[in-house]
Amino acid sequence: MNHAIAIAGALIGAGLALGGGAIGAAIGDGLAGNATINGVARQPEAQGRLQTIMFLIIGLVEAMYFINLALGFYFITSVAQAVK
Amino acid sequence: MRILLEETPGTHPTISVCHGGSFCNVNSDTLLSSAIAIVITLIVGFVVASRLRSGRPGKLQMIFELFLGYVRGMVRTTVSEDAGFVVPLAATVAFYILIANWLDFFPLHSPVEPANADLNQTAAMALVVIAVVQWYSVHVLGWRGYLRRFTKPFEMNTFVRAVFVPLNVIEELVKPVTLSLRLFGNIFAGVVMVFLLGQLYGAGAAFISHFIYGIFGLVLLIAWKAFDVFFVGSIQAFIFMLLTIIYFDHAREGLHHDAQQEAHHDAHGAHESHPAAQAA
Repeated sequence: MNHAIAIAGALIGAGLALGGGAIGAAIGDGLAGNATINGVARQPEAQGRLQTIMFLIIGLVEAMYFINLALGFYFITSVAQAVK
Repeated sequence: MRILLEETPGTHPTISVCHGGSFCNVNSDTLLSSAIAIVITLIVGFVVASRLRSGRPGKLQMIFELFLGYVRGMVRTTVSEDAGFVVPLAATVAFYILIANWLDFFPLHSPVEPANADLNQTAAMALVVIAVVQWYSVHVLGWRGYLRRFTKPFEMNTFVRAVFVPLNVIEELVKPVTLSLRLFGNIFAGVVMVFLLGQLYGAGAAFISHFIYGIFGLVLLIAWKAFDVFFVGSIQAFIFMLLTIIYFDHAREGLHHDAQQEAHHDAHGAHESHPAAQAA
């Protein structure tokens, strides 16, 4: 019974972390895309340079989410192993 | 030869080299795959170096010249004109991470496990980079300037600067942690996704009624692998290099300010006599 509670807690925690991380990453991606669109609308000739920077920023922003995903999975597996 | 999705992510076969607890354990799969990546990096580097031709460069040499020229330009504009030693460090780290990430294209576990999906590997690289950054900071600013850098908002009064000291210490300590966790998290999340999609595919293959799930899972697996290796892998290698260069730039903080203060105090102006003021 306690094992089930522990695993359920780990799963709920990982779900919360993933959900919050996804919200943050989505907002960050949206802001980066928004700024890029504004920049391209103002200066269409700068599109190539702006796109490089946008992908760079998206890589930085999504890294936070991927760290969440990796650590969440790590915590779930470590809890499951400890319970066993 | 074992397929990646047979293994639970995050588990590594270990070799114990002495009897001293977990510090003596070596993750053999990471060791092997990073050794393969290092050998490939060295071979490519030496092949390019041995075939250098001026005037009529080969394709590989052209790619390397573009890459190194880009890194050199970025170091010159971001850090300083005389910080040329950053170029080989940053470029080698980026190229090695790129090779190690592209090796993940083969979804195998036993010969080439994704080297950067092990925190030990990325933490080692981040610690080396941060150690060189700290050395550079002391080298450029001197011990006094190095300690002064921790009282960072230089234009504030003494009380505010004292309050900021713990924050600056934490910022300095967090740098290697985020640098290593960013790369590790991205690559390890790729491994986790391959594992989960592989479960989907396996469930489809086990029950013929779920065949459509299996096809769906396989298509998703291929799409994810391509995205993970060629987009995430390349971008993370580039970001690791970029952050290395940016940390070297942070290591020079305070130099510009000193020069400005001297310029204020000095009636003749320090701009001609002080090359650092011009560089910054």
